Amino acid sequence: MLKSFRTTLAPIACLVFSAISATAMAETITIATVDNGDMVRMQRLTEHFTKDNPDVTVEWVTLDENTLRQRATTDIATGGGQFDVVTIGTYEASIWAQRDWLLPLDDLPGGYDIGDLLEPVRSGLSHDGVLYGAPFYGESSFTMYRTDLFDTAGLEMPDEPTWEFIKQAANTLTDRDNGISGICLRGKPGWGENMALLTSIANSYGASWFDMDWQPQLDSEAWNNALTTYSDLLTQNGPVDASLMGYQENLALFQQGQCAMWVDATAAGQFVINEDSMVADSVGFAMAPDNGLGKRANWLWAWALAIPQNTEHKETAKKFVAWATSKEYLALVAETDGWASVPPGTRKSLYDNPEYQKVPFAAMTLASIEAADPSKPTVDDVPYTGVQFVDLPEFTGIGTAVGRQIANVLEDSATVEDALKNSQWVTEKQMTRVEMLNRD
Amino acid sequence: MVDTSTDPGRSVADMDDELLPVPGHRLHGPKHFLGLYGAEHVAATEFVIGAAFVAMGAGIKDILLGLLIGNTLAALSFWLITAPIAVKTRLSLYTYIEYNLGDMTSRIYNGANVLIFAAISAAMITVSATAVRVLFDIPPQIYPYPSNLAFAAIAASASVIAVLVAYYGFNVVAEFATICTPWLMVMFTAGGMVLIPALNETLTGYTTLSSFSEFVNLAGATVFTGVNANGEPGIGLIEVIGFAWAANTFAHFGLVDMAMLRYARKSIYGLCTATGMMFGHYVAWISAALMGAATASMMKLSIAVVSPGDVAYYALGATGFVIVIIAGWTTANPNLYRAGLAAQAVFPKVPRQKVTLAVGAVVVVGSCFPFIYRQILPILAYAGLVLVPIGGIVFAEQHIFPKLGLKSNWHRLKGLKDNKPALITWAICLVFGFGLNATGLLYFVYLFLPTWVVAIVSYTVLAKAAGAGASYPEAEQREQDFDRRVKEHHAKLAATENHEYVKDTSALTRGIRSIWIVIGLVIPAILAWRVLFNSPDLYAYYVNREMFYSVTIWCTAIYFVFAWWDLQRGKALQKADQASAASMQATPAT
Repeated sequence: MLKSFRTTLAPIACLVFSAISATAMAETITIATVDNGDMVRMQRLTEHFTKDNPDVTVEWVTLDENTLRQRATTDIATGGGQFDVVTIGTYEASIWAQRDWLLPLDDLPGGYDIGDLLEPVRSGLSHDGVLYGAPFYGESSFTMYRTDLFDTAGLEMPDEPTWEFIKQAANTLTDRDNGISGICLRGKPGWGENMALLTSIANSYGASWFDMDWQPQLDSEAWNNALTTYSDLLTQNGPVDASLMGYQENLALFQQGQCAMWVDATAAGQFVINEDSMVADSVGFAMAPDNGLGKRANWLWAWALAIPQNTEHKETAKKFVAWATSKEYLALVAETDGWASVPPGTRKSLYDNPEYQKVPFAAMTLASIEAADPSKPTVDDVPYTGVQFVDLPEFTGIGTAVGRQIANVLEDSATVEDALKNSQWVTEKQMTRVEMLNRD
Repeated sequence: MVDTSTDPGRSVADMDDELLPVPGHRLHGPKHFLGLYGAEHVAATEFVIGAAFVAMGAGIKDILLGLLIGNTLAALSFWLITAPIAVKTRLSLYTYIEYNLGDMTSRIYNGANVLIFAAISAAMITVSATAVRVLFDIPPQIYPYPSNLAFAAIAASASVIAVLVAYYGFNVVAEFATICTPWLMVMFTAGGMVLIPALNETLTGYTTLSSFSEFVNLAGATVFTGVNANGEPGIGLIEVIGFAWAANTFAHFGLVDMAMLRYARKSIYGLCTATGMMFGHYVAWISAALMGAATASMMKLSIAVVSPGDVAYYALGATGFVIVIIAGWTTANPNLYRAGLAAQAVFPKVPRQKVTLAVGAVVVVGSCFPFIYRQILPILAYAGLVLVPIGGIVFAEQHIFPKLGLKSNWHRLKGLKDNKPALITWAICLVFGFGLNATGLLYFVYLFLPTWVVAIVSYTVLAKAAGAGASYPEAEQREQDFDRRVKEHHAKLAATENHEYVKDTSALTRGIRSIWIVIGLVIPAILAWRVLFNSPDLYAYYVNREMFYSVTIWCTAIYFVFAWWDLQRGKALQKADQASAASMQATPAT
């Protein structure tokens, strides 16, 4: 009787103990993220993670980009501990890592293949060689062009075009009577709009924002050459009201067949060949142009998951980040949503996959990302990282102010020289003003 | 009115002025109080409190309406509670307590004041140090404790200097503070105006605002978002009203401002406090919050950790250093002085130098901790809770006792050393107030209200039981004699003191005044206006802002030189006039 009682009681005790243990071990992690399609999908697929980790509950706080920056910054700076994982871009990664706000991610668990990450993306999310953000999406920029127009004009787009070729092709292909611009480029002022492109162009012309002593270099000859190329292309071969054209506007123009060439984000690749595009069947892809100085005009951007230093759930947060940015996650997305929906630009293995290689712009996207080097973005050495931006907190304001000067050139209200002189002045002033505030 | 029981033969003329009621000829009209309160409530604390509302997650509509209501309640409290008692007694609260509430109450009260004023001083010195830290290449202090030895050293050094200045040069700093008010008002407003376009650009991509509703939308989206630092719903209308009302509880319900309002000819001048409330605690708080949010956005930091020095520098350029240091020091100076005086009252047998140094040492240590200045709003609210029972006790004596047939000055008449009902009442109130706080039934900023009521009821009951209703004919006669002697003394003073303010209408003074008004105030205001309303894009904004920064620092220098000159000329004129009046009286009539 006693033995039978013991036999019955033992499993019950085990169950109770397990339940208690499970309750005691249960953890909730809170993730702050942006409201884009990739992240919405990740939320939906999180059930796969929680199924494998029943002791973990994942809560999502989805915000627009500006609010996310503000909330995450406040939480981390004040040690609030509200978020265990935050979504950051390459711009924040370096600044926050410098401030010691983020946990190093070189030891992510679960067989996380850190060596599989594309080197430029990894570099863009690292500080002093240590990874602080695990990428779930990466992009560069490349040249999209109309193969039909090129064929008609008897032109052949090289895989690695030069700016000289682009100028000639734009001159040849511009047909304003038929509403075709030889080239579409971002002209709308803003650090993430015209300045992202122009900074990339400037890099290819051997220009840089600052020299090694943090002295602004916008009045240099290299910047003059870069801006002259950019403004000539747009004023002579660009769309009407070029200074109002940002990413979305140019995408619409290209989809409507009004751009012969467009140098912009690799992320646009899927949209110029989808059903919304009137020219989907005649789009080719090439690298961003260069000027023979060893740097192409292609930028690099990535969205990543990072872990604040002050989280109380370090290990669980790492476990989630490892899962959400793993090879297995990419395979899961392919399985549930198809290859076209897989977040691009993070892992070599994705581009080795024969299925993904069938995506028309996949190879050129990989080549473009690999051609970007955020740790050495310019021909000469510079003290900053970031290809199309400078990893300074004040850069967004400076970039937008300079962007306005560049737009003035397109609107014929300023010369190249005046615009660069003003840009130099505003950069010097702002650097002097905020330099003291941001000393660490 | 004054206790003569301990020294009936003492000559009134030998007594310290502070111990006597204010004579009638030294009373002031409303203009004096409008300026005085404007000055008193535009200080370095405003930088911190503005940011505190943001960190606490107040919403824009709650701020606009709540601060209006709360500050109106504060002004009404000064008018209806503080001013009538101040005008009736013509004494400072400290003197009143010493005479009417006994030695022990006075000593404890002064002890509490030491802590409160030392904390405020420390906070203000830390605020000044945050401006200096950028000059010495010290990183921002984002933690509650000092995270950099050099910052602690600077804060401590600034404290030591401030303590020495307060000890040796109090009058100079206090005098200097009087000319700061108009400049501080312009600069606080200008700072907010100058940073609004930058803030707007981060939210909308545009630097221009076309209507007030756009401003409300901007402030609601970027500054007063309704969400606190932890991402939770922030404080609402009731809490905002409470904070605005309670920020000066110790001054109005707590009656500390009897010291100022005892000089008012009429109690309605209590409404003049509205200049301080509506500008310093409305415009300046909102402006400081806008400045803080814009600076935080630029620095990619949280507003909860951005220091006032950074905010002021980013908003006002080099003038920002000046404003933070001046606003910090001119606030720290009187509070250090008050703390020192209070400490001397607590330890009357310890040499003054030792007491001052001990208080100074506390301030030096406190100033190294950014925590204190960041928590200034709760500190002020809790300080009010500690001091408000005394206000309730005095209110009971002055307003309730006469109606119940009790003697307002029963304790003096009875000749007791300690006023035990007052001490017990205070203890009851502290237990009640902090007990109520522990229950969480009432938001802590409102605790002063029931606590004040408890003080009135409790003291009335206890004092009546202790003999407040009894008759003390001998002592009352002695009081009347003393009052008569005071009146005679005041009459003599009135005859010898020239109490007519002589207006300086000379061309030179008018010229000096025009210079500091136009160059020191109007030009910076116009430039700030230009930044706000004439910056169509970010580049134009930077150009206008640089112009504002570059010109304003020179305007500031000119302002202080000429305003100081104006002040000194005015003083010299009054002095000469008094000397002339004295010689006229000394010369026998022929």
